[in-house]
Amino acid sequence: MWRRSLNEVVRVRGALLPTTVAPIIFLLGTAGQFSRLSDLHGFPTTSYLAWILPLSCMQGAGFAGGAAGANLARDIEQGWFDRLLTSPAPRPLLLAGPALAAMTRALVPTTVILAVGLALGTGLPGGVPGLLALYLAGVWFCLIASLWGSTLAMRARSQQVGPLIQNGVFLAVFLSTAYTPLPLLQGWLATFAKYNPVTYVLLMARQATVAGIPPSWSHTWPGLVALTGMTAVFGALALRQLRLINR
Amino acid sequence: MAPDAGTSAILVEDLVRTYPGGLRAVDGVNLRVDHGEIYGFLGPNGAGKSTTVRILTTLLRPTAGRAWVAGHDVVAQAGAARRVIGVALQEAALDPLMTGRELLRLQGALHGLRRTEAAARGDELLERVELVEAADRRVGTYSGGMRRRLDLALALVPRPRVLFLDEPTTGLDPASRAALWREVRALNDDGTTVFLTTQYLEEAEQLADRVGIIDRGRIVSEGTPDELKSRVGEPALHVDLVDPSQVERARELLAAHGECTNRREGGLTLRMSGARAIAPVVRTLDEAGIEVDTVEVETPTLDDVFLAVTGHMASGDGAGAEGGR
Amino acid sequence: MSTDALDRDAGVQARVVAALAARALRSQFRRAQFLLPSFVLPLLLLAVVASGTSSARRLPGFPSTGAYVGFVVAGTLLQGALLAGLTAGIALAADIEGGFFDRLLTAPVQRVSIVLGRVSGSIVLGVVQASLFLAVAFLFGARYQGGVPGIALAIAIAALAAGGMAGLASAIALRTGSLSLLQNLFPIVFVFLFTAPAFFPRAFLGGALRHVTVFNPLTYVVEGIRGALHDAPALGNPWRGILAAVGLLAATTALSVLAMRGRLRTR
Repeated sequence: MWRRSLNEVVRVRGALLPTTVAPIIFLLGTAGQFSRLSDLHGFPTTSYLAWILPLSCMQGAGFAGGAAGANLARDIEQGWFDRLLTSPAPRPLLLAGPALAAMTRALVPTTVILAVGLALGTGLPGGVPGLLALYLAGVWFCLIASLWGSTLAMRARSQQVGPLIQNGVFLAVFLSTAYTPLPLLQGWLATFAKYNPVTYVLLMARQATVAGIPPSWSHTWPGLVALTGMTAVFGALALRQLRLINR
Repeated sequence: MAPDAGTSAILVEDLVRTYPGGLRAVDGVNLRVDHGEIYGFLGPNGAGKSTTVRILTTLLRPTAGRAWVAGHDVVAQAGAARRVIGVALQEAALDPLMTGRELLRLQGALHGLRRTEAAARGDELLERVELVEAADRRVGTYSGGMRRRLDLALALVPRPRVLFLDEPTTGLDPASRAALWREVRALNDDGTTVFLTTQYLEEAEQLADRVGIIDRGRIVSEGTPDELKSRVGEPALHVDLVDPSQVERARELLAAHGECTNRREGGLTLRMSGARAIAPVVRTLDEAGIEVDTVEVETPTLDDVFLAVTGHMASGDGAGAEGGR
Repeated sequence: MSTDALDRDAGVQARVVAALAARALRSQFRRAQFLLPSFVLPLLLLAVVASGTSSARRLPGFPSTGAYVGFVVAGTLLQGALLAGLTAGIALAADIEGGFFDRLLTAPVQRVSIVLGRVSGSIVLGVVQASLFLAVAFLFGARYQGGVPGIALAIAIAALAAGGMAGLASAIALRTGSLSLLQNLFPIVFVFLFTAPAFFPRAFLGGALRHVTVFNPLTYVVEGIRGALHDAPALGNPWRGILAAVGLLAATTALSVLAMRGRLRTR
């Protein structure tokens, strides 16, 4: 099943484009547009690119997970999933296959984005620990996104749910400290970001490239808690939906 | 313009269509359809039917040869040709998001009708194909039969002189098929020339004035359904006698008329040439005092025609592929 | 009137274009797949950018337009135009793959009218989108010093740009006939968006990007929109915006017609 999901990437024309190229476009575009923001007092780094890079990795990883959900929706709509349901494999495993494929796929955009950033001069002040935190956050977030996507897919049973899945991921990622750190946010977004778990995942990931966020336990544990919490919530929803799929 | 082009509804001369890669989907087709005829184009999948129709409806250019529809060269005078044809293509090219009524109005606009004209024409055709109730529902909700009817209605919007129907009843249930046949006959009665492609031999038999059999890009046989059937094998005469014990005697008597074989208990099958032999056969038996219970004439079907003419079955191996759009 | 002359009759062709444009518009609103990118996505990005980067106003020299959302909304109008164009291309590719395109080809319709129908539909869609986005931004505090004339001008620029992008997407659809390719071009929309001063003033953009923006006609489009909305020539020249949008429209329509001819020649 894992292999089948990977096959699709190779065969569908331009399939890799959205998941890999899009985050790079966002990386370069966002960094280019808002580069002056890091001049502001309160930014833990002078390089906006360094600030944005982990965000792009998370975005790419999140989209890869969402795409797994969209593919599941397509499989359900076309009847392939029913065939899997009648097989002797334990049900939760059916979700694991695409999830694992997505997580493998998530490694690609994360690495590519990192490479682009390094080529443009971003350093890795966080060293190896920072890098580990970044990859862990990315792959884990991808898993959560795929659980979210799978839940919606099983609920809607239609390919049309794809954009809805991705918009959800988009909002979760961006209604946070995506563009600016918490102290610089105002109004409703400041409150929203404070309670958005993704804010803490971003904090964990930013240990890799942001000089002002050095790798430390205090920067990591909130992210781990957030990731664990989201996994519990979306995992439960996905399993529940899987049980309900019997009509 | 070829001398005949103006007097025939469709004229095709040495038509060839080669696809990139060398595939000859149409390999030298010649045919002529008179005004007011229903011409049936019969062949298996991949024979070149759809390609020919696409050329005649100006969707495809021939690699060689020429074709005229209602006197207009389909390449040089494509615009004029489009004015006088109605087209219902295989895939029932409809927009699932539009309603039947909206599609008819759009088709009207495409043919230059003003808003009110297009609306009136649309309503008229909806009644004709019995889609009035579904007219304001989206086409995506229509059944296969309804889509075909709508497709036909759309083809009729410009009151075409020549109507092209590409496999109009493929996949339809018998009731829908019969309804469509009725409609085609009615149109033909009004004077519309119909060029029909089909893989259903029964359809060609039922509707067509003349049939052309196409196989691997060439016309291998042409004629009325009866002519074609008579070219293949001879009709058989099945005779059942009242008194089965007289079978042997009857056999001796009828040997002069043709090859005779025993059928079931008390019956004979006589292979003969031409239906004219029926009367003499009955007379022979009658004069000999042998009472005849039933006489049945069995003529070959178009299936038999196909096998004989093309060397293979109509369904099954479709040699060659019709591709490209 | 001979049949060929009837084909060329402008009145008839205008009716054809209008009918096709109406169809294009209708299908936009009937399918969620099209509605979402055209209306929801730009508004999402507006919300995210306007709130997330609002601290930009503290940067020295940052132009003031009242509420920050009033500055950002010009980028949203541009994004809407880009997406309107892309969805037009997607719809055309769907027509080609699904066979509806053949129906248009067998009708006595001038080929260029088919392209103009798509483009016109997108222009009308552009008007609807831009109006909606400006209204939403207004609800969140944006104020338009340019008044009604400024707003009308901004909407016109955005709508013409939408037509321009529709021409480009249609050209690609006609050239490739591939629906999946066009759907996967979605990220390219953001390339166009980010290589223009969509959300930040040109002077504030990163070095390399600033150079690139000079060559992007959409730069002048978005600056023109901003200048019109806030009656501030310093932000952008609206007439240059109109010129850029019209130029784009003309060029891409020509491209589409060429692509159409190419497709029909090799059939």
